[in-house]
Amino acid sequence: MVSVHSISARAADTVIAVRALEQEAANLDAAPDFLCVFYDEIHDDQLIHDFLAARFPGVPVLGGTSCGGAMSEKGLGGDGSIGLLAVADPDGEYGVGTAELTGDAASAAEHALHLALERAGCPGELPELIWIYQTPGQEEQVIAGLRRVVGDRCPIIGGSAADNAVAGHWRQLGPEGPMTNGVVVGVLFSSGGISCAFQGGYAPTGTSGIVTQSSGRTILTIDGEPAAEVYNRWSGGKISHKLAGGNILTDTTMFPLGIEVGRIGDVPQYLVIHPEQILENGAMSTFANVGEGCCLFAMRGDRAHLIERARKVATAAAAALPGGPKSLAGGLVVYCAGCRLAVGEEMDQVSAAISESFGDMPFVGCFTFGEQGQVLGSNAHGNLMISAIAFGR
Amino acid sequence: MSHAEELRETIVSMQRELDMLRLETTHSRTLLDALDALLVVSGEDDPFASVFSVLLPIFDAALAIALACPSDHDDTMECVASNDACLVGSLWQPDAQLQKALRGRIVATLGSHDLGSCMTSGSLVPGDDQPALYLPLTQHSRRGLLLLLRECGKPGFDRSHVILARKFSLLASHALAARDAHRREIESQRLKQLTDQLTDSQHALAHRANHDQLTGLPNRAHVQELVEERLARKRPGEKLALAFIDVDDFKRVNDIYGHDVGDALLRGIADRLGKQIRANDILGRISGDEFVVILDPFRERSEIVSLVRRISELLHQPFDLDGVQVKGSGSIGVALYPVHGRSYEALRRNADTAMYRAKTSAKGSVEFFNRALSRSMSERQCHEQQLRAAFAARMFRCALQAKVDIRSGRIIGFETLLRWVDAQDVVHAPDTFLPIASELGLLDGITLMQIEELLSWLPQLDQRFGKDIVYSLNISAIQASHPGFMKTLIGRIAQSGRARNFMLELTEESLIRANTFQTDSLPLLREAGIGIAIDDFGTGYSSLAMLTELTVDEIKIDRSFIACIQDRPHQQSILRAIGSLGRALGIDLVAEGIETENELAWLLDNSGIGAGQGFLFHRPAFIPALLDADLPGNRPPLSAITQAIIDRLAKPAA
Repeated sequence: MVSVHSISARAADTVIAVRALEQEAANLDAAPDFLCVFYDEIHDDQLIHDFLAARFPGVPVLGGTSCGGAMSEKGLGGDGSIGLLAVADPDGEYGVGTAELTGDAASAAEHALHLALERAGCPGELPELIWIYQTPGQEEQVIAGLRRVVGDRCPIIGGSAADNAVAGHWRQLGPEGPMTNGVVVGVLFSSGGISCAFQGGYAPTGTSGIVTQSSGRTILTIDGEPAAEVYNRWSGGKISHKLAGGNILTDTTMFPLGIEVGRIGDVPQYLVIHPEQILENGAMSTFANVGEGCCLFAMRGDRAHLIERARKVATAAAAALPGGPKSLAGGLVVYCAGCRLAVGEEMDQVSAAISESFGDMPFVGCFTFGEQGQVLGSNAHGNLMISAIAFGR
Repeated sequence: MSHAEELRETIVSMQRELDMLRLETTHSRTLLDALDALLVVSGEDDPFASVFSVLLPIFDAALAIALACPSDHDDTMECVASNDACLVGSLWQPDAQLQKALRGRIVATLGSHDLGSCMTSGSLVPGDDQPALYLPLTQHSRRGLLLLLRECGKPGFDRSHVILARKFSLLASHALAARDAHRREIESQRLKQLTDQLTDSQHALAHRANHDQLTGLPNRAHVQELVEERLARKRPGEKLALAFIDVDDFKRVNDIYGHDVGDALLRGIADRLGKQIRANDILGRISGDEFVVILDPFRERSEIVSLVRRISELLHQPFDLDGVQVKGSGSIGVALYPVHGRSYEALRRNADTAMYRAKTSAKGSVEFFNRALSRSMSERQCHEQQLRAAFAARMFRCALQAKVDIRSGRIIGFETLLRWVDAQDVVHAPDTFLPIASELGLLDGITLMQIEELLSWLPQLDQRFGKDIVYSLNISAIQASHPGFMKTLIGRIAQSGRARNFMLELTEESLIRANTFQTDSLPLLREAGIGIAIDDFGTGYSSLAMLTELTVDEIKIDRSFIACIQDRPHQQSILRAIGSLGRALGIDLVAEGIETENELAWLLDNSGIGAGQGFLFHRPAFIPALLDADLPGNRPPLSAITQAIIDRLAKPAA
């Protein structure tokens, strides 16, 4: 029998926030077997780690910084908030492994996965789900490393740690403590079943072009024209004032790019990519790799869709549980930080929508700078996406 | 966005549900077969032989091993069955992974597992990379396991196998218990009930997975299965036809009458078509407003022609849907097996191509696929590629056609027209590439290229024709309804500082239908000082009364009104009315397509129209040629007769 509890606290001082967590944790009616923790970058990670290690010794923990704090079924935590999800599942098996991403990111991720399986007591076994939290920048390599081991045979869900102002202050937290440039890999073998959903909240506008020159995460030209000019045209002049260069993160949140990753029926499915900066010669950097020859689609979103999408993703995850939505014990949500900034003051509606979809069951949500999940059966990294994990009882 | 997005959502969620149902159906069928295999074997016969024959292909496994513990206290297991007879009777000592499976977990391995070390007697030589799946299986009240192993190098088992294994493990353990106690009536009945429920559920699932919920007709995937089965049985000389039917203007029906009536229309169509086809034919609904009819068999093409014609006529007859009369039609494309394709996919694609041709030539018509159509599709693809290349190479150029004051012959403006000049210097007229460019999403870029070229020539044009000349630019209805593009275009024109020298020509449809144009773009145009003209007036949907509601600067009366105006009294009355209204509202009027002196003379004598455009005055020319042309006094070169007509009327006008 699985039970899930969410605990949250809010304070600018980590000591005060941790004390509040401790008080709430006293009400837990079952000892947790797996913990997820997400918090505002202002907090002292080591204090959070020390508290968790002392209060829940030996329990695998996974998490890190989340843009502007966390959310839960109680609402948006807000600045200075910490969200802790405690999964109690005495018949399940959980393990977390970590690795620094200093060299070969793919091998590091592979190592962390094996470590997590070892710690879960399940070496050599296919997990039900892999949960990752990592530093932004090398997500494709991390996914590639994990896929070397499990392919697409189980879902890989997760997010890229985020700070509050894209200033590189993001961190990750694992059983060994905080990291600034690492990946935390969790393996989940739940006794109550787990399901997940991964979707974007954007629709294609009908305009598209071929990437004629690119390098990693930088698109140089689309249809032979400088990428920035083409994008500016597609977005109706949203970055006209920054064509000479600059950060376009907030300008482009409602106008991302899409890559077709397959079709359901005849309907194309897209992985969303968030343009980040305009560079020299009209090049444009993004938060995901874009290869030459790839067809890019102009996408469009709005607040209402980003709120509604959160509801749909949570509903889809709960509905996919082996015992249906009634068997839901709680959930975990990854919501893109870019979408969060775009939704702005209406973010309370996002947490309310998820809560409604989850039937008021406990959940914790984090806000990330990149999202990983399974699209049409393939594990992938995207931007401006929303994912949800549902735990069955 | 919302309509399209809702449609996408609906299709995707339906497809997901369908996929899930299909998976459930497959699982149910597999489980039933396996249970049957366990239960039908009588006496002391080994039930596992049949079970393995069911399970191995489903799990794509090469080796199955059933192990059983002698008692609850002894973990040593004996192989009680295997498709490898050598293993039967071997003894096993479970390691950690097998222990987990004994405790009830389904275990899928990531790679090889040294099973050989678990064997305490007998021999097993697992490969280096032999994926395995372990599931608990209670036999004769004893704990046990079923091990399934794939061949070396094959991909490992995934989560869907784990889910199926979990179901099988539970049911098979029950089935074995019941088999052991088959004489106990209650247990047998319970099991029979379970099996019956599973059978019913499987039938219900199979029906739901294979049929469209609205009409009850076979769905896309099922139609494909049925046709592929038929095609596989075809012998040389046997024929089949696939008719692809697309309901015309179905979206309009939904928009006007609502989705309930739309649904009723689809059911009505399914009902009518169902009564028309023969017993052996197949009717299916393959997406929202698309049906297929498989006419199988036929001998002569004439049979198909008459059958498809009857279907077409049936669709043209009005539908009475709960008191609402809806007039419908369907465009039909037909492909014939084997001449137009030997697979379902080829036949469907070719019939779809033929349907597309039918719809574009005349909605509600019927078209048979043929090689010319195939060529035409290839040509279209080629054309698209050329157009994309032309776009990348910026091979589009502006041609200008003069707009003149018909009472003086003086040039007052130019209409900017697009030309595609290819690598061989062949000049392509806009109607040969603009519709495709719009479909490909290139039109916005081309329009912006056009404005850039015009702006780059503006100093020379000013010097040649003066700074009061107004340049008109055509904007499509799609562009007008796209605020982002309109904002960019208006911004670019405004940035030049010459906004008052520009006018956007939009069709009536753009102005009336594109709400976003009225709300988002019109205020920006007004603020910038860019003029607005209604192009091709009189061909669209608007009435004269609507002119009073539109805030436009110019009306360009369509050429169809001007052609031979001197001989068409009815058109003359309309033109006079437009003229009066235009003058009353202070809107400038331009007569398009003036080609003859007679037309000009009538307009000068009988209408208040002040400006004109047409070959009588000037043919479109590229800007460099225009700048080089001899146009004394900013007047296009006119024939002596034209000049005489203008001169005759110049005095009264003065």
